[in-house]
Amino acid sequence: MKRLSRYSLLFVLALCIGLGTSYIIETKADAKQKKSKSSKTALPILDPNDPNSIIYGGTDGQIKGKGDPDKPASESVRIGMGWHPQALSDQRLPKDRYGLIDWAELVRKKMILPKHSLDPNEEEMPPLDMNVVIEAKSDFVNDVVYPHWIHTYWLKCEVCHPKIFVPQKGGNPKMSMAGITQGEWCGRCHGKVAFPLTDCMRCHVKPKSAKK
Amino acid sequence: MVMTIKARPSLLLLILAAVFLAAPSYAKPKLGNIQFERKSTSRERAGIGPATFPHDSHEATLECKECHPKIFKAKRGANDITMKKNMEGKYCGSPGCHNTNAFPLYECAKCHTKVRGIK
Ligand code: HEC
Ligand code: HEC
Ligand code: HEC
Ligand code: HEC
Ligand code: HEC
Repeated sequence: MKRLSRYSLLFVLALCIGLGTSYIIETKADAKQKKSKSSKTALPILDPNDPNSIIYGGTDGQIKGKGDPDKPASESVRIGMGWHPQALSDQRLPKDRYGLIDWAELVRKKMILPKHSLDPNEEEMPPLDMNVVIEAKSDFVNDVVYPHWIHTYWLKCEVCHPKIFVPQKGGNPKMSMAGITQGEWCGRCHGKVAFPLTDCMRCHVKPKSAKK
Repeated sequence: MVMTIKARPSLLLLILAAVFLAAPSYAKPKLGNIQFERKSTSRERAGIGPATFPHDSHEATLECKECHPKIFKAKRGANDITMKKNMEGKYCGSPGCHNTNAFPLYECAKCHTKVRGIK
């Protein structure tokens, strides 16, 4: 009995030491992480107005240079002056609930400044700020609010009118959710280049007025 | 040593009690397919047929208590399900179910028959 308690005492002691050291190591690692985080935020690499935030990619997809706009890797990347995938994986970009980059939020936060056209002589057309309510054909499902603003920020009217949508409220009686899931209507882009169809509530935002 | 001998009878009782309590959920009912044929006016507006719930295949992969009574009342027709609720993360769309782990809610024809425009 005595021996047993002695062993157990030893065991408890060893446990204490083990836990204690691991705690110390952890807090040290935490402190290190905090330090590196704060030094990162002091260097905003995602400011589109700052030439230092541009990373030039070569035609082989590798980084060729960083920060010097006078020494781009090639003509095509200079025209594209885009953001390298490496910049896109940056943690501070807003993400949607699937971890995909939320491009609409990015625009609202003015985190990007894309050129409206490659042709410098083309006149810029400001986005059209007009919401259209599209009724969902169901007694319960929220109606859809279609925002022209974010779409016309990226796209010309002719992309959608009149080929995909007749530009008139309720002017597309054949539109349906089933069709959208088959890649028609909104489904021409959503689920492909724009946010996925699984995000139902991002389109279905307007609750049906109290009727049952 | 003395301690464990003393504990044994009560332990046995505990195990027995647990078995008796758990017994009903072991009686697996093969309920086959359950039809959801309500909300017909709303479904007609959308051009969507009734939904089918294959109880058997769900039984095969999930515990009863994962659905009953937390998500569904275990009684035919006792659950007021709409597509709106599914989309908001209730019933079929509960966290970890359709639209997250199981097939997405936009695959209408996997649950509904007679979806207009889809064979
Ligand atoms: C991404 C596709 C898309 C683009 C781009 C787009 N629209 Fe639309 N537009 C729609 C949809 C969808 C509707 C709603 C149709 C419906 O209700 O059936 C609509 C409706 C309209 C309407 C009718 C509104 C009403 O209340 O009757 C007008 C006018 C219109 N658009 C003008 C424009 C103009 C001008 C542009 C370019 C600046 C433009 N649209 C760009 C998709 C688009
Ligand atoms: C990109 C936008 C968008 C997303 C995302 C979206 N919907 Fe819709 N949904 C619509 C539009 C637009 C309509 C109206 C179509 C019409 O004119 O009838 C609609 C209509 C519906 C209807 C009513 C039936 C009908 O055809 O009108 C149901 C049910 C529905 N959606 C379910 C869903 C579910 C479930 C999801 C998520 C898996 C979803 N929707 C995601 C745009 C969307
Ligand atoms: C021609 C392509 C195209 C079509 C057609 C289209 N969209 Fe979009 N939509 C986009 C793009 C691009 C974005 C911005 C990127 C993103 O959010 O994924 C967007 C964003 C949105 C947003 C996000 C707004 C925000 O602030 O988060 C909503 C809502 C939306 N679309 C609804 C619709 C609905 C409803 C329809 C059909 C009536 C539709 N879209 C048709 C391309 C399209
Ligand atoms: C995971 C299975 C499932 C999927 C996928 C699904 N539904 Fe449903 N849906 C149901 C169930 C269950 C009901 C309830 C029916 C009842 O109570 O009789 C329902 C009801 C409905 C209703 C009537 C109630 C309401 O809210 O208006 C409509 C319309 C509908 N669904 C359309 C759709 C459309 C459109 C899609 C594809 C975008 C879809 N459903 C995808 C399971 C599903
Ligand atoms: C994926 C979820 C799910 C699982 C897992 C599940 N059920 Fe169900 N069960 C349902 C649904 C949905 C209904 C239909 C309810 C309705 O009609 O509103 C149902 C109905 C029932 C009913 C009523 C049948 C009738 O005819 O009234 C019983 C009894 C039942 N379940 C027992 C069980 C048992 C026992 C298990 C475990 C072996 C089980 N369920 C597992 C979803 C589930």
